[in-house]
Amino acid sequence: MKRLARGLRTLADCAPIANAKAPDRRMRTAVSRAKRTEDFAAQQSFDRAVAKLVQATPVSSEIQEWFANERMAEGAKRSWKKTALHPAILAIGIALAVIAVVAWIKFDEQMHAFPGMATAKKLLNVAAMTRPSEFEPMQTEAGTLNDLFFMKYRLEHYDVPPEFAQQRTIGVRVFDDDEAGQVAQISLAEKRMQLFLFPARRDSKSGKPDEFEGWRYIEQEGWTGAVQAHKGVLFMAAVRGPKKDLAPYLATKPQSR
Amino acid sequence: MTGEASKAQDIFQDTVREAAFLAANGEPPADRYWFFREARWRCLDVIARGVQPEHGANESTEVSPRAPEQIEQLEPEQLAIWISAAPEPQRSALALYYLDEFNYREMMSVLGLKLTELSRAIASGRREFQAWLNATVPAAASE
Repeated sequence: MKRLARGLRTLADCAPIANAKAPDRRMRTAVSRAKRTEDFAAQQSFDRAVAKLVQATPVSSEIQEWFANERMAEGAKRSWKKTALHPAILAIGIALAVIAVVAWIKFDEQMHAFPGMATAKKLLNVAAMTRPSEFEPMQTEAGTLNDLFFMKYRLEHYDVPPEFAQQRTIGVRVFDDDEAGQVAQISLAEKRMQLFLFPARRDSKSGKPDEFEGWRYIEQEGWTGAVQAHKGVLFMAAVRGPKKDLAPYLATKPQSR
Repeated sequence: MTGEASKAQDIFQDTVREAAFLAANGEPPADRYWFFREARWRCLDVIARGVQPEHGANESTEVSPRAPEQIEQLEPEQLAIWISAAPEPQRSALALYYLDEFNYREMMSVLGLKLTELSRAIASGRREFQAWLNATVPAAASE
């Protein structure tokens, strides 16, 4: 078989002894090519003679009894239930489920992301940490504060949306934040809710504020915020609790700003 | 594999017993290859504890067209002893190959060998067995 290519010779050396069908195309090719050589005929005769001698090996009657039912050696087929409950399969399944959940959460986050979301989340933390004493006492309707912001702080378009304009305030403050810029924070009497007004992020090329339509929700550490963009200013209503605590305010038909 | 019928019988029974034990614990062997893998490891264990044959550089010669006539003159026990004296993994490869129950992929799986290793083991086994045949049954070889 010296004329055979090395790969085919390697296969032909393990060729089936009986005229059994070769297990794959590579072996069939190797056997077919090898049959054209004299060496292979000698090899097959040799192998058949040895296999015949092996078959002639006496088997004790005790062992023959064990093989009364040959199906014994076939092994047991696992049911799909048992396969599914195998620790390795179970571990892989759990890992895939976790990956799928994380991927879905990331996808969902991306779907609900909006310009200024990072700043809004940071301000939710501010809402959680602000003490009542830090506010300047101010008892009025939230909708009237735009004049104060403009006259005292030169903050243009810091308007509270109509959905929250009728709410009574108990305090207000304006502070500078490294990321958010000048932030107006209003404390309401109802549900100890807080309102934030801060500049929308601006496009670095055009300089125009990045805006979006409608209300967007964010949640962080037990607080929920509803954010809206209007004339280059973001408004956020923040409440300690779930989304459903804010939803009734946003559902009310607002008068236009 | 062991070259001794009594040892082989013990290993066979231990293997079947192990399979029954696993089945009783709800984890029966997954396929028939399990029996051969298990029996092989048990054989290797028994062989390792026994007297070790000396593995020198065996003579080898090309397979002769007259080898079948030489082989016909052998007893199965002589072949078994020759195979049991071969070094691993050649011994296991020859034992499985001449059982004529497995294709090369199955043998690679059971023995954990690459194709080139399996092929080398079988091909060199043939040549060495032929050399041994020529020495053992010279009359037939020289005819």
